[in-house]
Amino acid sequence: MADESPRIIGERRVLGVVPGRPPVGERKDPQVDDSVMVWPHLLVRHAVVAVAMLLVVLILSILFDAPLREIANPTETPNPEKAPWYFAGLQELLARFHPVVAGVLVPAGIVIGLVTLPYIDRNPAMAANRRKVAVATFTIFLVAWIALTVVGFAFRGPNWSWVWPWQEWHGEL
Amino acid sequence: MESYGRRRFLSRVWRWTAGVVAAAGAWTTWDVLRPGRSASAGPVRTVSPEQVTQTGVLEISEMSGYLTRVDDEIVALWWRCPHLGCKVPWCESSSQFECPCHGSVFNRVGEYRRGPSPRGMDHYSTTTENGVIVVDTAAVSDGDPPGEESIDEPPTGPECLGSEAGS
Amino acid sequence: MSLSGRVRQSVVGRSIWRSGDVATDRDRATKHWSSFLLHLYPVKVRREELAFRYSWFLGVISLVLFASLFVSGMYLMFFYVPSPATAYGDIEYLQTEVAFGQFIRNVHRWSAHLMVLAVAAHMTRVFYRGAYKPPKEFNWVIGVFLLVLTLLMSFTGYLLPWDQLAYWAITVGSSMAAFAPWIGDQAQQALIAGDQVGSATLIRFYVLHVAVLPGLMVFLVMFHLWRWRKDSMLSQPEESEHG
Repeated sequence: MADESPRIIGERRVLGVVPGRPPVGERKDPQVDDSVMVWPHLLVRHAVVAVAMLLVVLILSILFDAPLREIANPTETPNPEKAPWYFAGLQELLARFHPVVAGVLVPAGIVIGLVTLPYIDRNPAMAANRRKVAVATFTIFLVAWIALTVVGFAFRGPNWSWVWPWQEWHGEL
Repeated sequence: MESYGRRRFLSRVWRWTAGVVAAAGAWTTWDVLRPGRSASAGPVRTVSPEQVTQTGVLEISEMSGYLTRVDDEIVALWWRCPHLGCKVPWCESSSQFECPCHGSVFNRVGEYRRGPSPRGMDHYSTTTENGVIVVDTAAVSDGDPPGEESIDEPPTGPECLGSEAGS
Repeated sequence: MSLSGRVRQSVVGRSIWRSGDVATDRDRATKHWSSFLLHLYPVKVRREELAFRYSWFLGVISLVLFASLFVSGMYLMFFYVPSPATAYGDIEYLQTEVAFGQFIRNVHRWSAHLMVLAVAAHMTRVFYRGAYKPPKEFNWVIGVFLLVLTLLMSFTGYLLPWDQLAYWAITVGSSMAAFAPWIGDQAQQALIAGDQVGSATLIRFYVLHVAVLPGLMVFLVMFHLWRWRKDSMLSQPEESEHG
């Protein structure tokens, strides 16, 4: 909307205009529409991911059978005795520390720490390089936890002794 | 002011009622879920005292445990490890209890030697009726905390645990 | 007009799909809100959310695995009686006699393991993106509860086959509860319904696994998605005028 003649806007005379654009009072800021409709853009992607994930489950289920051991026998503890893999890190801690520490304080601390995280970390920055403390702390805990889980899951054999997984395999899924 | 008082009274009444109902619900839930004395626990007739020797232990699966003795006193141990509940087997070669799960070790009468267990093995109370030891599996008492052993019986041989166990 | 178009325009069709003609984004938004299934989603999202690197789609992967577990679990329930006398035999029967029985059990097992992984990874990704920051703090808290619920679901399901793996893993896992201060012994006994894992434990874990925990889970997942939808609109308030 070109405007070449002087205009009155709000009882003031406009002295200068930029060719090709409306006077200052009528201008709109350029607005980049950064949003997209969920249907179809996001939903199509979700559908593809869903089908891909189901395919993964399907293939795993065709290739590998779920384990089934002998019937439960309360008079005989298998050796090694392993908790489900997601508790292998906890079990590894339990072999090293007093159960109050490893079985109660650590798990409770993890859950309480995660729940309170957004109320402790009040730094509004989103980019990783502007919240180094939070990222570093979380990463240390994450790596430690993954390491404990891997050790408990794959590197422990009879009597909870150290084994190399490529020599003896005792992991249970 | 009278109607204000009545409103406040009614609003308090329903709040208190809701609180009482919630508390009753929580109490009921807890009481329902809390286990009663399990059907299997109770007195178990085992063997005559003469069969229990001072040199080893006698495994009795009906009582989920072991019988042994110190002089005249019968000791009835629950085989559950106080650490995390694995069954603690008797190791013949070393003459001690060795848990395969995390390597807790106990002496012949269930006293703590080493490993992550917080205490010695738990005991049942026993009585003797008509020449038979009766073990009450519903009456369990905690094992002693780690400390001096009351019997002087060092391991008699190689342990059943691997050498790296119990780290 | 296509067949589906004709069905949609019929009296019955219009009573089911109630939106009118669609020409503008505003019409599309109206149609979106009026659909029961779509209304869990926001109408619009920021363009960056479409990219794989934004979320790695871990949230939707978790949801798909939960759906897979829900469906395969239904099949398993037809063949399973939660009692020590029958449970193990039921699993053997399922694996050897029932058509696709082994396959369905495999789907349930691997979906469960993958779901634990996916939920944990989802949480990790959300942390590194900083997406737990205001106004999304509470949705993060719901997410933590969902992670705990996922672990509990997996843990209670672990006992049900009643084999050596199940029995001793649950014995060890539940013994940890006994070390909680003051209420430890009571909590452990309430959890396994007695001194030792037995028939009372099996039925208790079964009820938790098929009724209590999934109910909680569905409720919390809906809450989680609803907050996600609300927050996705909040982060760009000016968009609503541009529909």
